[in-house]
Amino acid sequence: MIKCPFCEAKQVDNTIFCSECGVYLLEDERRGTEALDFDEMDWGDENEEPQAVEVKPENNLQQSIHLKIGDGIREIEASLAKAIHLGRLDPASDVFPEVDLSDESGLEKGVSRRHARIIKRDETVVVEDLGSINGTFVNGKRLAPYLPETLNDGDQLQLGNLVIEIGMG
Amino acid sequence: MGLLNKVADINKSPAFNLDVRQSHKYLSTSTEEQALYLLVKMTHASDLRPLRLPLNLCLVLDRSTSMRGARLQNVKQGVQQIIDDLEPDDALSVVLFSDRAKVLLPSEKNIQKSRLKSVISAIQSSGGTEMLQGLVAGIEQLRTHRTMTSINHLMFITDGQTYGDEAGCLEQAQLANASQITLTTMGIGEDWNETLLEKMAVASGGTSLYIDSPREIRQAFQTSMDALTSVVARGVSMTVDTASGIRLENIYMMTPYISVLEHQASRLLLGPLACDTEKTMLMEFRVRAEVAQTYPDSIQIHIEGDLPEQTNYCSRLSKQITVEFSKKPSRNVTIPSDIITALGKLAIFKLQEKTMIDLEQGEVTTATQRLETMATRLLNIGETELARSALLEAGRLARTGNLSAEGRKKIRYGTRSLSMLPKEIYRD
Repeated sequence: MIKCPFCEAKQVDNTIFCSECGVYLLEDERRGTEALDFDEMDWGDENEEPQAVEVKPENNLQQSIHLKIGDGIREIEASLAKAIHLGRLDPASDVFPEVDLSDESGLEKGVSRRHARIIKRDETVVVEDLGSINGTFVNGKRLAPYLPETLNDGDQLQLGNLVIEIGMG
Repeated sequence: MGLLNKVADINKSPAFNLDVRQSHKYLSTSTEEQALYLLVKMTHASDLRPLRLPLNLCLVLDRSTSMRGARLQNVKQGVQQIIDDLEPDDALSVVLFSDRAKVLLPSEKNIQKSRLKSVISAIQSSGGTEMLQGLVAGIEQLRTHRTMTSINHLMFITDGQTYGDEAGCLEQAQLANASQITLTTMGIGEDWNETLLEKMAVASGGTSLYIDSPREIRQAFQTSMDALTSVVARGVSMTVDTASGIRLENIYMMTPYISVLEHQASRLLLGPLACDTEKTMLMEFRVRAEVAQTYPDSIQIHIEGDLPEQTNYCSRLSKQITVEFSKKPSRNVTIPSDIITALGKLAIFKLQEKTMIDLEQGEVTTATQRLETMATRLLNIGETELARSALLEAGRLARTGNLSAEGRKKIRYGTRSLSMLPKEIYRD
């Protein structure tokens, strides 16, 4: 029998989340994100002209978004019906991103636990940096934290040093 | 005996895949009861093609006074859209209900589409909401054209509460399940019984939907139709056998939403499997080591389903899960991250369920506190809108001792959708 440190409810051995208050019961062994060395940062293709921020008409009916992560081994199709959080799983801090980048060397590549989110706003797909340590970039341009930026088909999204290719349609 | 003359697939490659992750590889030999979690993902083999099987569809529509206006208008348009998608071999029936049920269209094939669409557009609203009669009439209609290969489905749409016949409705849903009829139950607006509609859907192996605004009605109809017309396996069922000392405590369906599966019956009926979809379940076990450690294959999961692509053919697959025991299992075990993610979302869903139970028992203070805890959790995981609804309702609860009907639904349907995860794409 174990006791929840938060609400003191008794729990069966090996329980992972408290059945009474939902708190994570295992020891926190996950590490925080460290700031990357500036010189090591891959700033994307600097010669490429930043694309004009305009909504393409085909963007309007977008129901889902396609993400090709890192070297392209992992691909996902995410519904835009609700926000898609990108980051690293950390149950002890209540971080359960829809797209967990831990297995893509997220920690080493400077991905924060709460790094960015993709949402559909006014029929436009936007990405928003959530105050990450190493920043979010769209086609090489660093986003100001909490200021959403439009995403279009073929855009290169970068979280810290991890590159994600955006596909729509 | 089932409808099909079933043949086991001993020599063929299996039609299904079962991916089972287990939270702890080693359990302790201690005499204390321990928890064990399994995340079970069922998919179909990639070479299985969806088949457009003959549909045997019944639409059971609420036409009570409260449906007047945009609601009924959108329901009519949704129905007309379904009619347009029907093939000659599909059977359709339409039942209207208010104070009593009326069969507007007895089950029929080769529908005269334009005539029927005009009949639909003439539906008028009136009366109260008596669900049971509508449901009984609908299931009755589905018996007419039920065949060995048909996809039997009942879409039930309402915006109101039914009084006194809830148990009967649930019983009908269970009967439907036994006849390979699945239900999609849809509730519009605020004033309907979400617990009942969800139980009905789950009991039949189907899903329930919460429709916020009338504009979403047509989309809900379309989504249901898409799933019904791309079936790769029907009558999917699962059995979980455990050795002595191991008890199945709970099963939750995690896709497309979190729902509680009743597992008292040894066999879980999961309805049809649509192409490119999966059924993911989270199972919670309780283990007593002193008994369980003498059995090697401690847990067995069996699934089976009929493959319409190969007539009269039932595919079966079993998986043995071995639980091992150690005197001192390491405390630093790495639990697979998808189990943690699933359990984390489930923990919030359970807070919601417990809040409702607290309320039923009149424990307003406990319920308020739980709702506040839930709001914090939701805020932490970035579900700001849902967190705000939970906080608003916690405030209301503290003041008035009650939740608003709308808040109750937002929280229930919001937390059950937390399990929605992006789909991983696998390429060969």
